[in-house]
Amino acid sequence: MSVPWQRTWVVFRKEVMDGFRDRRSLYSILVSALLSPLIMAVMFTTMAERQRSAEELRLPVAGQAFAPAFVDWLRQQSGVTVVEAPGNPEAAVRQGDEDVVLIIGREFAEKFARSLPAPVQLVGDVTRDTARPKVQRARALVSAYSSQMGSLRLMARGVSPAVATAVRLEAIEVSSAQQRAARILSFLPLLLVMAAFVGTLQIASDSTAGERERGSLEPLLLNPVPRSALIAGKWLAAACSGALSVVCSILLCTIVLSRIPLHELGGRFHLDAASYALMAAVVLPLVFFSSAIVIFVAMLARSYKEAQTYLGMLLSLPLLPGALAPLFPLAGKPWLAVFPVVGQYALMEDLLGGKPPAAFWYLVAALALIGSAVLLLALTTRQLRREATIFGRG
Amino acid sequence: MIDIRNLSKSFGNVQAVRDVTFAAPDGAVTGLLGANGAGKTTTLRMLSGLMKPDAGSLLVDGIDVCAQPLAAQARMGMLPDARGIYPRLTPREHIHYFGQLQGLAGERLVASTAALIEKLGLQEIADRRAEGFSQGERTKVALARALVHNPRNVILDEPTNGLDIMSTRATRELIRRLRSEGCCVVFSSHIMQEVSALCDRIVVIAQGAVVAAGTPGELRAQTGCDSLEDAFVKLAGLADDTEEFSS
Repeated sequence: MSVPWQRTWVVFRKEVMDGFRDRRSLYSILVSALLSPLIMAVMFTTMAERQRSAEELRLPVAGQAFAPAFVDWLRQQSGVTVVEAPGNPEAAVRQGDEDVVLIIGREFAEKFARSLPAPVQLVGDVTRDTARPKVQRARALVSAYSSQMGSLRLMARGVSPAVATAVRLEAIEVSSAQQRAARILSFLPLLLVMAAFVGTLQIASDSTAGERERGSLEPLLLNPVPRSALIAGKWLAAACSGALSVVCSILLCTIVLSRIPLHELGGRFHLDAASYALMAAVVLPLVFFSSAIVIFVAMLARSYKEAQTYLGMLLSLPLLPGALAPLFPLAGKPWLAVFPVVGQYALMEDLLGGKPPAAFWYLVAALALIGSAVLLLALTTRQLRREATIFGRG
Repeated sequence: MIDIRNLSKSFGNVQAVRDVTFAAPDGAVTGLLGANGAGKTTTLRMLSGLMKPDAGSLLVDGIDVCAQPLAAQARMGMLPDARGIYPRLTPREHIHYFGQLQGLAGERLVASTAALIEKLGLQEIADRRAEGFSQGERTKVALARALVHNPRNVILDEPTNGLDIMSTRATRELIRRLRSEGCCVVFSSHIMQEVSALCDRIVVIAQGAVVAAGTPGELRAQTGCDSLEDAFVKLAGLADDTEEFSS
């Protein structure tokens, strides 16, 4: 019994050595490892940037001379800097030179003095996502000033300002900064699952479809080694490379997320070392499955080119659960762990949502992955007995 | 010792090998001579255990290839039609890999590898990656890894195909040496001179069937031709005639 395992070890060592001498497999590990941290970094930085830009509002105001008191009040608001408006405010906003411009009407002082609504125009572009928070802030500033002045006028007339407020609206924002950050973090499972697939791709396809393409499969099969032992060696080598890419990916994510200005998204948000370890526990067993399915698909193909086409399609598989998530929410369903890939998403969603699943489900997920991998490998071994697979369909 | 009896194989409607019977004794070189597409490679693939015959039996040192393919493979060293090598591995690593797959380890593996590198004149490129090797260098690597376990039965499918004169000579030298070591050598070729220069026994295959077998002298006598080439042409033509008769 020990002999086939020794041969598996021989194949494993050769494929790992061969794979790590292959630039393409190093690139695929590198790319998949860097992809998630980079995307995370970009998304978080732009989100923080946007948040900060709304809090620190640089507000161009036209016609400042018509309402000096209003402009003074604006200047006193925290984070607001009042600057001179460009000559043509609408053109400036349309061209994107300014995000928002406030125009104080010529008759502002006159109407204000007569307690009539004083005209103020706010120029903005609703289609520009980056400008929207600034426009909202400017609008809020103007209505705050308006209601303050209104209250003062009522008091001057001996009326309680409360009379003018028939309904007091209090908006309760339930989405915390943590939740907004979680929306970005929801990409993390997808990126890690992709890392598990992309990381195995090169070694798994080169050692199977590539082996046949370069005519070394037939010589290899002439050795007195059970085909299952050969396939197992190739499988473990590919899984190893996938695991490397997942581990690198998670490590880089911890570095990136620790350097990102998370406090600007609300200081309560953080992922600790334990959550990263649990995430690794969910994603790492996936490499056993991803490498097995890549090997299976690559062996089905008639040529390396055909294999690459199939594998391109295979890579869209991990995207599916994410795309279907609005229809079939995955949170709170740890039993989904019995399904490869879908289960990993379900477990990670709970993990990121602050409700780590029970240890039992990690075990179930790992067993389900290894079980389906073994099934795929058995099918591949059977495929490898077919003459058409070994010699091509000539 | 290789014993092939009543071997047949069809692909769809095409019968590639029909009722092939021949034996290749130890300490002799047996040549499979036939035109391209005559069924030589198919016969050797069945001998290697990678292709199942429709009928017939193949024995290697008395071991049935179909029943115990791994045991039979352990007794054979085979240079197949496909001789792809790994571009990122050196010849020494190739030989090591196949040696380990044959169950060799330690001292024996190192010694056997070194001996083959020397025998095949691979010293200069032994530790260079195989990317960009010439056809001849690739064939030598493929040959070396097939022989690493010192097999008693050596099967070579068109070993000199695509080789230059020097490499061809080296390969012939190797075949003679294997014979003198008492191995059973079977090689296929469509090159007359090569077969007549090397073989103790010749099996002529045409359209999947054995049309003649014997020593070069016996074949000349059988056909009444002075040269083996004429004998071969006559034998191949004979196959055409029988084909017409039977259909």
